[in-house]
Amino acid sequence: MKKIGVYFKDFFTSITKGDIWVKLSLLIMGAGYFGRKQFIRGILMTLLEVGVLASIFRVFAPYMSKLSTLGTVQREEIFDPLTMQKTVNDYDNSLLILLYGIIGILVIIAFLALYIANIKTVYRLQKMQEEGEHLSTFKEDIVSFKNERFHITLLTLPSIGVILINIIPILFMVGIAFTNYDENHQPPTYLFTWVGFKNFINLFTTSQTITFGYAFVRVLVWTLIWAVLATATTFLGGILLAQFINHDDTRLKGMWRTLFVITIGIPQFVTLLLISKMFGDYGIVNTFCENVGILDFLKNIGLLNAGDAFIPFLSRPGWAHVTIILVNIWVGIPYQMLVATGILMNIPSDQIESAKIDGANKFQIFWKITMPYVMFITGPSLIQSVIANINNFNVIYLLTYNYKTTNMSMANSHATEVDLLITWLFRLTNEYSNFKMASVIGIITFIVCAALSLLTFSRMIGGDKEGVYR
Amino acid sequence: MKKKLLSALLVSAMATSAFVGCGGAAEETTAETGSTTEESAEATEEASSEDAIANLIAATEGTVNIELWCSETEEYQTVMKERCDAFEAEYPDVDFNITIGAVSEADMKDRVLEDVEAAADVYVFPDDQLEALVKAGALNEVAAQYTYDMNETDTAATVEAGQYDGKQYGYPFTASNGYFLYYDSSVLSEEDVASWEALTAKAEELGKEVGCEVANGWYLYGFFQGAGCTLTENEDQSNNCDWNSETGLAAAESLQSIASSSAFKSYGNDDLLANLNDGKVVAYVSGTWNVNAFSEAYGDGYAATKLPTFQVNGEDKQMASYSGYKFVGVNAYAENTGWSMLLAEYLTNAETQEAVYAATGEGPSNTEALAQASSVALDALAAQSEFAELQRVGGNYWTPAESLGKNILDGKVSQEVLDDAVAGITQPVE
Repeated sequence: MKKIGVYFKDFFTSITKGDIWVKLSLLIMGAGYFGRKQFIRGILMTLLEVGVLASIFRVFAPYMSKLSTLGTVQREEIFDPLTMQKTVNDYDNSLLILLYGIIGILVIIAFLALYIANIKTVYRLQKMQEEGEHLSTFKEDIVSFKNERFHITLLTLPSIGVILINIIPILFMVGIAFTNYDENHQPPTYLFTWVGFKNFINLFTTSQTITFGYAFVRVLVWTLIWAVLATATTFLGGILLAQFINHDDTRLKGMWRTLFVITIGIPQFVTLLLISKMFGDYGIVNTFCENVGILDFLKNIGLLNAGDAFIPFLSRPGWAHVTIILVNIWVGIPYQMLVATGILMNIPSDQIESAKIDGANKFQIFWKITMPYVMFITGPSLIQSVIANINNFNVIYLLTYNYKTTNMSMANSHATEVDLLITWLFRLTNEYSNFKMASVIGIITFIVCAALSLLTFSRMIGGDKEGVYR
Repeated sequence: MKKKLLSALLVSAMATSAFVGCGGAAEETTAETGSTTEESAEATEEASSEDAIANLIAATEGTVNIELWCSETEEYQTVMKERCDAFEAEYPDVDFNITIGAVSEADMKDRVLEDVEAAADVYVFPDDQLEALVKAGALNEVAAQYTYDMNETDTAATVEAGQYDGKQYGYPFTASNGYFLYYDSSVLSEEDVASWEALTAKAEELGKEVGCEVANGWYLYGFFQGAGCTLTENEDQSNNCDWNSETGLAAAESLQSIASSSAFKSYGNDDLLANLNDGKVVAYVSGTWNVNAFSEAYGDGYAATKLPTFQVNGEDKQMASYSGYKFVGVNAYAENTGWSMLLAEYLTNAETQEAVYAATGEGPSNTEALAQASSVALDALAAQSEFAELQRVGGNYWTPAESLGKNILDGKVSQEVLDDAVAGITQPVE
């Protein structure tokens, strides 16, 4: 709060104490530079002002003025059968109104910040002139972006990228979550409008007809279980595998590594589609199990009902969950093995040597030295892979695109027991054009991921732990 | 205004012709004048559509770009290319640039709705996507026709299926997208395929497989409808459904007992084709899209017939089905609406339908072309057509129905399951 106060106080002192050039800058942003004979800067700043103001009034204003309703004029067309030409009215496109409205607001905010900073800068120039300091020329300014202000040069592109790729889509999605954008309100032909928190309320509602609440809890729980299990299994598996290959007695290390890395070489897409066919209800794995007698064995021990004609690897809750995690282990371990190999090779050998001298056995060395070291190095990447697994669309969708639920409450909200939030979201948009609920789910996923990473990052990297292994 | 003029002319022509029909011999003079008016009105109408095309040609400058999306199969791509070339030859004064894209018909709706403004100008789609496409505003209304009148040339059922809310949106293209029963007549007799009970019993005896994809709302509908239940769509796109009635429960239990036979399978299309090639499947409910697969697999025994009956409360009920059609549609955002409409007409006229039938085996909707088309599959479809209904169902039907089908296959039928399914199917649309 104090900072904000100072921010505006500086702005107002600049105006009141500024000379005529500073006051003129309120209108023509380049004026302050003209007064100090910095003409190129002045021209550039004025051009920027004209450009931004023109874009705001010419491009964004028409959309922003409709932001409160998201458009009122629906598309109407008249076809003239005699000339075979079509005339279309000047209709509103809710989607563009929302998108350009959001961008317009961002542009205005950025412009205001620039405007305030500009006044402060020209006031500083005035003071520097009064005190007789050297005012940099345009050439010197350019050079400074290569030297003392190099960080600004470096950060510009990434920041623009983050705004374009991350911030605008997220704001856009948040906007849609508060509208009724679904299959009955699809732009450009039809309009959608604001509905407030209705979609959020629906997501937590459970009744016989609205079952989003019922489905959401189950999907969320499975998403979290999946993310943790998938990460933990591949991580542990990867380290153990790397450890085995790294072991002094292992021969042909290169060959083993290559063999596992080949798995990465084959596109995951292909592998997963093939596996989903192989483990299908009538796939070859089932045929094999039936012929060998595994099917009967499972029936005998009570894992399957007497009437089952196949093992429901990917078609029954429970079974499908286990299969998915097992398949993921197979697909995911090679990556973790590569990561772990690099780390294991860099473990300071003096620590292991001294542990050996102190009489530690292999397990003690592994759990007390290797694992903590690896955990420390890979901590951030582990969190990242938990988040990646929360959004692991490929594995889940490609393995279970044929899955049909028998749970009516799940079916009524178009979810299945094996859906992650992300695949549910995909189904809702792709098959049911239900963009409003998909956006709500998207926001929840975002919140889960953001909370998780904030929490763990601050715990892992926070404090003075960074120095421990130095 | 001109549109109104044309429709006024049409209405007056129809009114006079109706008058002619009623008038009869008693009032000969009136009848005569009536028929002359009718002729002149028809002449005006013909002249106006010729004028319209002439107007369009005169108003066309530069290249006319039209993008056409149709099925990715080689047969389709070839025959559509031929017909598009013929269309270009029809109007030598105009410079066309017609590109043909390959989009599977099942995905057509999704691909078009990804970005309506960027989608193809003309596209082929199955009738079950009509509603979603119209609701998203992706289809241009067929406000007038210029080269033929579908009400005269095509079967009434197809024309009707291309309508939504009383407006025509689709140009009738094929009328064979429904389902029926394929069977191998070298092992199954006509009595065997008459009822599901006989069929499963015989298949068990043979150690072979028969079936129908029950875990799919499109096929599941046939059993409940056949048993006498109803499923209809309301104006707000929600559904009316009484499958949880006593009859519905009896039908579900009957289907459950049929499905419990070890010979009964509910394969998706991929699994069906795999097992068909292995020689395991001897009878299966499918449609014309699998004609080649079945005729190759069964060889001389290749046969098809209407769907079997099944027993509900001790009575034999004929299994119903959805009839299916394919349409050519014009995008409401087409770059050049006039030419797109003319191309759509050209791609659905009698000549094209015959060519498509020859290339793909899909049954024409044009009555002339239909008269010349005859095959085992089309005859079976015709036999089933008596029990087939136009598919009009709201979007909330599919997932609960699929889940209900899965419950039936798993032997979990109960009043509660049906109640939940009906609650899902009939859930209100906001």
